[in-house]
Amino acid sequence: MAATTEVPDKGVVLLDFWPSMFGIRVRIALAEKGVEYEYREEDLANKSPALLRLNPVHKKIPVLVHDGRPVCESIIIVHYIDETWAGPGRPAFLPSDPYARARARFWADFVDKKIYDIGARLWRTKGETQQQAKQEFVEAMKLLEEELGDKPYFGGDNFGYMDIALVAFSCWFHTYETHANISMEAEFPKLMAWVKRCQARESVSKSLPDPLKILEFVGVLKKKHGIE
Amino acid sequence: MASGTASESAAELKLFGMWASSYTHRVQLALKLKGLEFEYVEEDLANKSPSLLLYNPVHKKVPVLLHAGRALAESVVILQYVDETWEQNPIMPRDPYERAVVRFWCHFCDDKLAPAVGTVFRSTGEEQKVAVGEVHRNLDLLERELREGHFMGRRFFGGDTVGLLDIVVGCGSYWLSVFEEVAEVKLVDPTTFPLFHSWLRDFEAQEAVREIIPPAGRLLEYARGIRHYLLSLAPSQHDAAAAAAAAPGDANDGGGTGAGVDGANVAASTGTGEEDKKDC
Repeated sequence: MAATTEVPDKGVVLLDFWPSMFGIRVRIALAEKGVEYEYREEDLANKSPALLRLNPVHKKIPVLVHDGRPVCESIIIVHYIDETWAGPGRPAFLPSDPYARARARFWADFVDKKIYDIGARLWRTKGETQQQAKQEFVEAMKLLEEELGDKPYFGGDNFGYMDIALVAFSCWFHTYETHANISMEAEFPKLMAWVKRCQARESVSKSLPDPLKILEFVGVLKKKHGIE
Repeated sequence: MASGTASESAAELKLFGMWASSYTHRVQLALKLKGLEFEYVEEDLANKSPSLLLYNPVHKKVPVLLHAGRALAESVVILQYVDETWEQNPIMPRDPYERAVVRFWCHFCDDKLAPAVGTVFRSTGEEQKVAVGEVHRNLDLLERELREGHFMGRRFFGGDTVGLLDIVVGCGSYWLSVFEEVAEVKLVDPTTFPLFHSWLRDFEAQEAVREIIPPAGRLLEYARGIRHYLLSLAPSQHDAAAAAAAAPGDANDGGGTGAGVDGANVAASTGTGEEDKKDC
């Protein structure tokens, strides 16, 4: 298709893949700022020439293309969106206080370092490896729940950077808890209350796929690769 | 948090680090470039202080910066904090796109280049050959950006002066020549990577950098000791020791082998980049 080889000189395009929690972060961020954009679904078994050209280093989604220039890596894209579409009338993802900003960045980095890899091991593995992953998953979630505490959002009173970083994973929680054989609601009540609170925001509810569809997607992947 | 002046900061800034940790050097360099005084605490990573564990309970690693009693961890997070708190000699660009590019290559360095270099250091034979190839591929990507990409025509990644990306890539790149000698491999051939080579030379010639980076002799001795130890172990012990010496993210988590070597990290890390979920 001619459309997939080109990106326009002006405007915003998002190269994405519907179940990707990394892509979801960007969708939420764009929605929060009220930015209009063209969404392009990538077939990861058959990546578009545009994707390969715009993210030559990693060849991965999401890629945000703004006025023809690519921005890669979801948390970097969220940062970019925050700094580009800023000013009165637009919510800021990061507060102005440098220490609060550092905390948000630290915890978003924690999510990046831990949740995806541990979560993947939960559904890709069995036996001892899976048990190990389950333990790590519970530990990581506990730390996140502690960090949230009794605040409405990770940033305090306002939904922001760290909330975006983690809530994108919430549609995967059902898949994780099914494979880990735990109840997220029972183990991490504050976190799950926070998820509900975030989902009351249109930017979030409109950007998160149905958790059952995610579980179904994982089921298909597992079958394809002979897992279980 | 109000901007501090150098004289205020003297009483307020404390850095927990390890002398051979390039992640620690990053923070030391940034503080030096900003003209900030600080108290330095050397950590024995085989025997971490209660303070370190208190201030970085999540990762338990160096560097940790304490400012007015508040703790910051993860070197790239700390660098941005320092830049945003003290506005003199900025190390980050103002433009959002430029900032995104800096952050991208910082992540590339920590997620791709450094782990590959670490594998070169930890391994021998075929495994090492593969890792060397990986390092070359990664250096080539940087070389390309310097030659014809975003950083074309610049003396430093930050432009005319050292910026955050220079600090991140530079503090750690001195290990390349150390590992070349200790592991007996060629990593940075000046004819293959002329721009990276000249950038590194210019970076290392900066006065602030010369004051921070330990002397090559000391780094060599340190690296030789670790490599000798790793290679003397039986394969199964080797994997365990390498893993103990390795950890994702910020460096030098000691474990049983004593302080790990920077770049000899991330044995177990599968990276923190995006996942296209094509693979199972």
